[in-house]
Amino acid sequence: MSTKGFAIGVALSAFVAAAPAAAQETPVGKAIYDKWCAECHGEDGAGDGSAAAYMLPQPRDFTTGLYQIRTTPSGELPTDDDILRMIDEGMPGSAMPGWKEYLSDTERNDLVQYLKTFSPFFEDEAPSPVEYGGPPGVNEEGLAEGKEFYDKIECWKCHGQAGRGDGPSAPTLEDDWELPIRATDLTEGWNFNGGHTTEAIFARLMTGLNGAPMPSFADLIDAEFMTEEQLWRVAQYVKSLSPETPEVREVVRAALVETLPTSVDDPAWDAIERFYIPLVGQIIVEPRWFAPTVDGVWAQAAHDAQRVALRLTWNDPSESPNPEWEEWRQRVVSVMEPSVEATDELLSDALTVQFPTTIPEGMKRPYFLMGAQDEPVYLLSWNSGGGATEALGRGMNAIEPIGGASTLTTESTFDDGQWRLYLSRDLITESADRLAIETGRPIPMAIFAWDGSNGESGTQGAISTWYFLYLDQPTENITYAFPVVAVLLTAVLGLVIIARAQRATGGGGPEPGSD
Amino acid sequence: MSINRYLRHPFWQAILVLVIAYVLIEYGIPYLPPLIGISSAPVPQSVVLQYMLTVLAGVLIWVSDNEERWARFREPIRATLVDRDKRVLRIALLVIVPLLTGWLTFRAVRQTVAAPPSLRSIHPAPPSSITFRGQTMQLAGLENPLREGDLMAEAYRVGKRVYYQNCLPCHGDALSGDGHYAHGFTPAPLAFTGSSTIAQLTESFVFWRIAKGGPGLPREGTPWNSAMPAWEDILSEDEIWSVIVFLYEQAGVSPRTWEEAEGSGEH
Amino acid sequence: MNFSLRQILALVVVSGISIATACGGGGEPTDDGADGDAPAAAGPVVSPDSAAMITGTVSFEGTAPAAEPIDMSEEPTCAEKHPDGAMRQLVMVAGGGLANVYVYVKSGLGDRSFPTPSAPVTLDQDGCEYMPHVLAIQVGQSLEIKNSDGILHNINTQPTVNRGFNISQPVVMETSREFSQPEVMIPVKCDVHGWMEAFIGVQAHPYAGVSGADGSFSLADLPPGEYEIEAWHELYGTQSQTVTVGVKETAEVSFTFSSDMAGNHVPLGEPLVLR
Repeated sequence: MSTKGFAIGVALSAFVAAAPAAAQETPVGKAIYDKWCAECHGEDGAGDGSAAAYMLPQPRDFTTGLYQIRTTPSGELPTDDDILRMIDEGMPGSAMPGWKEYLSDTERNDLVQYLKTFSPFFEDEAPSPVEYGGPPGVNEEGLAEGKEFYDKIECWKCHGQAGRGDGPSAPTLEDDWELPIRATDLTEGWNFNGGHTTEAIFARLMTGLNGAPMPSFADLIDAEFMTEEQLWRVAQYVKSLSPETPEVREVVRAALVETLPTSVDDPAWDAIERFYIPLVGQIIVEPRWFAPTVDGVWAQAAHDAQRVALRLTWNDPSESPNPEWEEWRQRVVSVMEPSVEATDELLSDALTVQFPTTIPEGMKRPYFLMGAQDEPVYLLSWNSGGGATEALGRGMNAIEPIGGASTLTTESTFDDGQWRLYLSRDLITESADRLAIETGRPIPMAIFAWDGSNGESGTQGAISTWYFLYLDQPTENITYAFPVVAVLLTAVLGLVIIARAQRATGGGGPEPGSD
Repeated sequence: MSINRYLRHPFWQAILVLVIAYVLIEYGIPYLPPLIGISSAPVPQSVVLQYMLTVLAGVLIWVSDNEERWARFREPIRATLVDRDKRVLRIALLVIVPLLTGWLTFRAVRQTVAAPPSLRSIHPAPPSSITFRGQTMQLAGLENPLREGDLMAEAYRVGKRVYYQNCLPCHGDALSGDGHYAHGFTPAPLAFTGSSTIAQLTESFVFWRIAKGGPGLPREGTPWNSAMPAWEDILSEDEIWSVIVFLYEQAGVSPRTWEEAEGSGEH
Repeated sequence: MNFSLRQILALVVVSGISIATACGGGGEPTDDGADGDAPAAAGPVVSPDSAAMITGTVSFEGTAPAAEPIDMSEEPTCAEKHPDGAMRQLVMVAGGGLANVYVYVKSGLGDRSFPTPSAPVTLDQDGCEYMPHVLAIQVGQSLEIKNSDGILHNINTQPTVNRGFNISQPVVMETSREFSQPEVMIPVKCDVHGWMEAFIGVQAHPYAGVSGADGSFSLADLPPGEYEIEAWHELYGTQSQTVTVGVKETAEVSFTFSSDMAGNHVPLGEPLVLR
């Protein structure tokens, strides 16, 4: 619909406002809200509940009527269905869960009506969804055209060339409440608010995200700068940036290879399987961290029976230390740690891979959070400012480098919002503190990551619990012998059975040849 | 040949029974637990094998029970082994069956990669007393001091704030153990809803678990894995008792009483 | 409660679209500082025989904060338009006069209604700056948003009374929008270029303007009467005065902002309270 047409529609709707949307306070909706929503969104819906300060993005302020995920034009109110969808599906990448399985249909519908009472805007406007056609078929040329328009309409200014939320404008973004807000990492579709179907992405492009920096691109179609189909191509291209939601597996398998990859971008890595390890904020010991940047690390591993090599790949929009992200860091710290004065010191990015000091025999392992005083952990500790070292951890704040000759080699590279880190060392070393790595045994492994430009260091970063690293053993010849023997035995047995059956049937008959 | 003729033949009847039994055991049984409100899981392979052997034995007893049926049952088998016009089928089976055995053997002996089994007691036996911030607390017989008429409302309010500021990321808005950080931790955070967790526990047990967290677990609770903080470092005694009130109220369950606990000879 | 008011406003909007007789609004910012050359809507409300005028200047005392350089290195297109380097200066003082102060009739017009001007008000994005920085517009009047840079700007309006919009202009193009409610002031920002900011004042009447480079302003074609005049500055807050004008009279009103008032900044909307 055209802008003018819409404006006239709004003006006229004021005349026929005799039947305003039913935004009345329903007792059931209030009871549900007070029980399940108020502690985050605030009793009066202002997004200022007691838990608000413990999360970023923060809970929605309902008093402004600004809702990100809508089917209505930029700036307009959401429809009832839009609000219901947000309650049902939640907001991935934030603390908002989906409520569909916890609240009944009636409860959720009552909640929609109750939420509307927080903003006076709902009294007299009845928004209607933007109308558009369906997507064209996906094909190579279409994706190329999508990429072309991704560049032309300058999505990359915020979302970055590779879509990882690292564009030049990303460090200064803030929402309508002056809170720092990330340009979405388009390669992690599973974190998209509103879902990551092509249709959902197109709807975000058409309607924008109210209250957030993401604008609507609908005017470009009205201005005939691009067609609706071309905007669909952008949506398809963005969709293509996100592989499916990664599967989390407990064991990272290190393939046995002839030649070990020797550098971070060695093409040999392309043939080695990737394992996704999700990370979350360290909220176990104080000071805690509720706003981590790194939400997952892809791990690859290989060994050649002498040395093991790891490649860890993770998205981080800022290559720290980085003065351009200082403003971002100051704002994040002022929101998440209002009582702490942010230092002027530029912080580095860091990643630590944690192992026990010896492969455990039974279930017992050291404490997953950097070990304990009486039970240390062995750490491969990398820092963008100073390379990698081997260290012993006896708790999050008790980490000491291991002295003596090290066989560790490392290389790291950053481009387009992504770190890739290469770590390699001998399986067996002279030192007792350095884990002796064996093949064919699951070795507990955990990962920690810090984004310096997000104010992260020390206990304030992203963590995982224990996973396992497993170094493949050479396949012994006997492994191939067993199946061959089984095939032969079965075949012989079959022949015997057939022969006996035929003899029993009066052998005199014509012999069935090769049997 | 019509389908009916096959269906009346004991050999094909036996095959059909085996197929139906397999489908029911493999895919049907996992649908049963949800009917009585328990969460489901696939049937372990060893159990499937055991069930199938039982079914096979039953089928064999049935077909061999009657001489005529037994003869008819053996008929197609014998035909395959002997008849001249079944030669192609015979050779095909002689190739396919050994190869299948070979493949199954290879699958069984090749290198498998699995995490070591982690046996873990979710509700390990509590100690009789703990030291909370330097004070010794007897857990046996200990009641929640805030569970009294006029203190409850305030305890719920305080507990709610404590929960949302601290517990929510893991244990979730709906107390079902699926907060937005839950996917980051193994073992997964506990759900408080339903009848199998805090509804089975006395409040003093819950107090112990909150105060001491993962690091305070006995060995059978695999303390090295648990991401549960030792909350005594962060929360006061009243805050912990308050959050316990909140947990039971919000989840809609009641704590186990000491009478119940003694009745069953536990704790 | 404001149902009847909304009806009136809607009438204004609709009549503005159908009646094409209105002239340019008195709220248009001018280069020479005075609004005298832009006659206010001479509809049926004010007879030319009785039209009064309020003029005056906004002056500044004290020391204006130093201009801050803007780093436009990421945007060569814009950097080129600022050969001497782009500067951010929110306090524009010339000859003692303070520019970019929004001056408007806050009350005194009673329940008169005014036609909507047919001429649009333009907000240009040129050299990664909004031109003008502060502008006055009437309810229902067309706001032409222009991108003269040809690089991506987004126009993110953040009103609290009106519904806002956030639209993208990645090329040289124009888009028009309007506001349906009076509001002082609507911040406009570009999220791509964090330094870009403008303010829009919306009134249901034509008696609003922005002080020029020398601090002067004028509100013409007023019906005779007693008015509360308010002046708004983004850093120094608001101040108001009451003035009475008779038939065909011209009244003088002066406002003085000083550097001491830096704390008077009026927050727009309700900021979120943390912890």
